[in-house]
Amino acid sequence: MDLVLQLLFTGIGIGSVYALVALGFVLIFRATNVVNFAQGEFSMVAAFLMVIFAVDLEWPYWLSFLLALAGMALYGVIFNLGVYYPLRHRTYLPVIISTIGASILVANTMLALYGPQPQVLSPVFETPGFNVGPVYLDSQYLLIIVVTMVLVAFQYWFFEHTLLGKKLQATSQDKEMASLLGIPVATMIMITFVYSAVLGGLAGILVAPILFVSIQMGGTIALKAFAATIIGGFGDVAGAIIGGLALGVIETFGAAYISVPYKDGFAFLVLVLFLVFRPQGLFGERVAEKA
Amino acid sequence: MPLIECKDLVVRYGEIEALHGLTIAVEAGEVVTLLGGNGAGKSTTLRSISGLVKPVSGDILFEGQSILGAGPEDIVRRGIAHVPEGRRVFPGLSTRENIMLGASNRKGLTKAQIRAEADGMFDLFPDIRPFADALGWTLSGGQQQMVAVARGLMAKPKLLLLDEPSLGLAPVIVQKVFSIIAEIRKLGTTVLLVEQNARMGLSVADRGYVLETGRLVLSGKPADLWGNEDIRAAYLGGHARVKATLPAV
Repeated sequence: MDLVLQLLFTGIGIGSVYALVALGFVLIFRATNVVNFAQGEFSMVAAFLMVIFAVDLEWPYWLSFLLALAGMALYGVIFNLGVYYPLRHRTYLPVIISTIGASILVANTMLALYGPQPQVLSPVFETPGFNVGPVYLDSQYLLIIVVTMVLVAFQYWFFEHTLLGKKLQATSQDKEMASLLGIPVATMIMITFVYSAVLGGLAGILVAPILFVSIQMGGTIALKAFAATIIGGFGDVAGAIIGGLALGVIETFGAAYISVPYKDGFAFLVLVLFLVFRPQGLFGERVAEKA
Repeated sequence: MPLIECKDLVVRYGEIEALHGLTIAVEAGEVVTLLGGNGAGKSTTLRSISGLVKPVSGDILFEGQSILGAGPEDIVRRGIAHVPEGRRVFPGLSTRENIMLGASNRKGLTKAQIRAEADGMFDLFPDIRPFADALGWTLSGGQQQMVAVARGLMAKPKLLLLDEPSLGLAPVIVQKVFSIIAEIRKLGTTVLLVEQNARMGLSVADRGYVLETGRLVLSGKPADLWGNEDIRAAYLGGHARVKATLPAV
């Protein structure tokens, strides 16, 4: 039982990272109808920004953290203007290719700058963790869970209770109609990219002390997050969060009880099972078309 | 000076020319209906005015100023609201939220003010009041039409463009929608109405234009258009003597 609780904690911790990145996937998909294949690089770039600020320049951790997030907001703007905006009137295919190109470009830029060896980022807290009853709570995992919960709550409030949130939703549901009402569609999509980049960046910064900072980290996180969005029901916000958490728990239990080397395999096994037996995901398509 | 004036409007979709030099005008305070069958260019005219399609030549003057080339976000801020064909209610937002977003073209309003105004719309559309918190996709076609018109009115437009408000609705609901158009007219809003249902369109209009394959073929008062049997038979479908030749059972 103790082991189960311990694994549950770790699973939810790592699942929170997948959930944050999955949220970013879903928000961009809903706003642009395109899967952003450079979503994982949002996390990777943010982690490298932390390495630059906190390790190379030896700036204080909190300052580096704020600067890295600000950097991600700027990255979101540049990404929107460079990768999406010029192709916004085209079909989804050129945009998808454009995001794949961005992903390759960014990963290789980092490779050129830092080489293939992984970088190490120290955890936020000096205390590595503490025991609550039989369960050892690692402080970095705890931080990830808390930050994710706060962000999910913030996002719910933002989309459900602010006019800007409603305008973002309207834009994702019908861009032409939104523009007829005077909603600045290009600005709304820009905001979505910035928010999505900050979300992905936050996930990358939080998970960096656990995973090492490498050019592969983006791809690994993005694949898991992509699987999470499919399990949750593509395009569904709640589904992305629950799918991410579920995936983290499943792979942690799979690693503990079945096989450690096949840890990553469990996530994709679940993904394949969903694609075969329930392709619409846990929450299916919430918004149906009605004549 | 007319409120809105289209001069020699030519619109092409790729190779196909949808409007071949259309000239129409609507005076402030009028309700004018554009009639004609499928492919006559009615919707294209409205889409040109609201900036969704760019005409290749001609001009569109609103309050004497050219709005040609302006985008839809800019045009609605000038005071032209377009309620498009198919209603286009946001499926994942509630009735009230849909209506509130209609005020997106107006600056300096607080959320509370917009909400109060949106709730005020339910006086004009009492049928949708019970569904204020229902999501758009759960509404019936008639309810969606009322949400779409209410959302258009939230823009406080000088000119309201209504595209096929009767499409796909039961006759009883069509009557209701048109009685609302009559109400809007009393509020002093200028309306340019596109209809396939010529009878309903002319019943609320001061004047009508009849389009055929991208050209203006007729214009006049409702009585003149509807009263002329040849016109009715040729363009308005009001006199189609359909002989049902059903096989004997």
